[in-house]
Amino acid sequence: MGRAVKIAMAGEGGQGVQSVAQILMDAAILEGKEALYIPNFGVEQRGGVTIAFLQIGDEKIGAPKFKIGDIVMALSDRAVRRTQMYVGPQTLFVYDSGIQGVEGDLPKNAKRVLAIPALETANKKLNPRVFNILIMGAVIGATGVVTVDNARQAIEKRLAYKFEQAPELRELNFKALQEGVNLVAGMGVS
Amino acid sequence: MSETSAKPVEGERKVFMTGNEAVCWAALAAGAEIMYGYPITPQNEIMHYWTRNVPKFGRRFLQTEDELSAGFTTIGGVLAGRRAFTATAGPGNVLMQEPLSMAEAMRIPVVVVIQQRGGPSTATVIYSQQEVTLTCFGGNGEGLRIVYSTSSLQELYDYTIKAFNTAWKYRFPTFVLADGYQAKMRESLNIYDPAARGIEMVPTEPFLGRPGKIGEGREAAHLRNTYNIEEELAEVLERDIADYERVAPEIVEHDSFNTGDCDLLVVAHGIVFRSAAMAVRDMAGQGKKIGFFRPITLRPFPEEQFRAAAAKAKTLLVAESAYGQLLKIVQQNLYGSTVPIRTLLKPGVGITPEEITDECSAILAGKGA
Repeated sequence: MGRAVKIAMAGEGGQGVQSVAQILMDAAILEGKEALYIPNFGVEQRGGVTIAFLQIGDEKIGAPKFKIGDIVMALSDRAVRRTQMYVGPQTLFVYDSGIQGVEGDLPKNAKRVLAIPALETANKKLNPRVFNILIMGAVIGATGVVTVDNARQAIEKRLAYKFEQAPELRELNFKALQEGVNLVAGMGVS
Repeated sequence: MSETSAKPVEGERKVFMTGNEAVCWAALAAGAEIMYGYPITPQNEIMHYWTRNVPKFGRRFLQTEDELSAGFTTIGGVLAGRRAFTATAGPGNVLMQEPLSMAEAMRIPVVVVIQQRGGPSTATVIYSQQEVTLTCFGGNGEGLRIVYSTSSLQELYDYTIKAFNTAWKYRFPTFVLADGYQAKMRESLNIYDPAARGIEMVPTEPFLGRPGKIGEGREAAHLRNTYNIEEELAEVLERDIADYERVAPEIVEHDSFNTGDCDLLVVAHGIVFRSAAMAVRDMAGQGKKIGFFRPITLRPFPEEQFRAAAAKAKTLLVAESAYGQLLKIVQQNLYGSTVPIRTLLKPGVGITPEEITDECSAILAGKGA
């Protein structure tokens, strides 16, 4: 049985973790892989921490949710605390270095804890709107679950209607993707 | 309801979609003419996708004021001879038991999709396997129902189509029992036109307003759910129970693996079966004498096949996201057997393959109670 890569991404509603998970899944499909995506959902309509569970592998995926992720990404202080439970000795835990006051809350049992300046990079070098795509690049850079090329195609497919109205968004998104990959590449993650 | 020439699904193709979408496409492909429903998470998107497609394929939709009404209007649609269905979950499933008891009493072939959520009451909108007892035996009757428990989006598609045929062939209310995970997750499946796979849809017919004159061309339609004397009711129930028991062997379905002389036989249904299958196949691959038995029909239960498998096992492990609802069915069907039953009961929460592996390893190592 081929082991699937287990990804959990958590953030505040509106940060785009669910759309990123879906684009990543599209990219996996383009690659001819199997994938299973499930959002966490509750009774709250807004204001909660949102988590996307995504598994990508060569064979049909087993259970939809998992206890321990291979990569767990937290994009807010609340998300850092909320995702502790998905961290184990095999987990690469990634969080945004701009998050304040979570030093004491970072997981102590992770294989590795990595802070990346995603928000700062998006805000200063690109545009806050492509923060989620930058995060997606970081996931790809860290795990290699899909190729950058297929990720670009998946972005193209999902955002085609936006690119039609504003073609400059295409380059911006692709740049963000590459920046994301570069962010973790510099951190010594394969 | 106009017949449209366009088929919702042509031939067969691989798709990635959510379970709620898969149910909608299966119902469209099966030729369902009308859905009645009242919104409740996690089944809402069945209604959303259905209503979106209604104008394209000449189908109909009625949103009712609650689930009581959704159940009764579904019965009404069937009485008019329509391939009709509804979908609900949790407290909605509770409310719907009154009309579903009536459907059971009058042998009305309604099709109901249940996306289980946590209970009791409002509880969570997320997931559970806590609606097994309710779906199999809810209502003031004997549970003369057919309940398919699916474990993947492919099965959700396959068994939604099949449910219409089972219902109309045997004339018992038929349920597709899934859960919030299957409703909301996205994975690959093949959707197809039933005809492309040689599946013929069982024709529907009206129960009321049939052509011809009563007493000349046909008998009067005599649909009752009210009886004046006990014996009158008993006679009808005895007939329906005999019918149910006679067709049960044709309806039961199960899946099993490695059931010959195993140290441990894992019993699970629905989405938990996926975790069980992964754990068991893994451990069997490492040389452990371990197998699984998975009932696909929870009602009627594949009793004969299950007893045969259990007879060759040293110990059973029942795993479910409920506190003993499958377990109760298992115990009832094992009456007289002395095989020890161990349990992994996690009401309202998912079970991962790792948890099942840990439990199995502990049992095989002779640990625990």
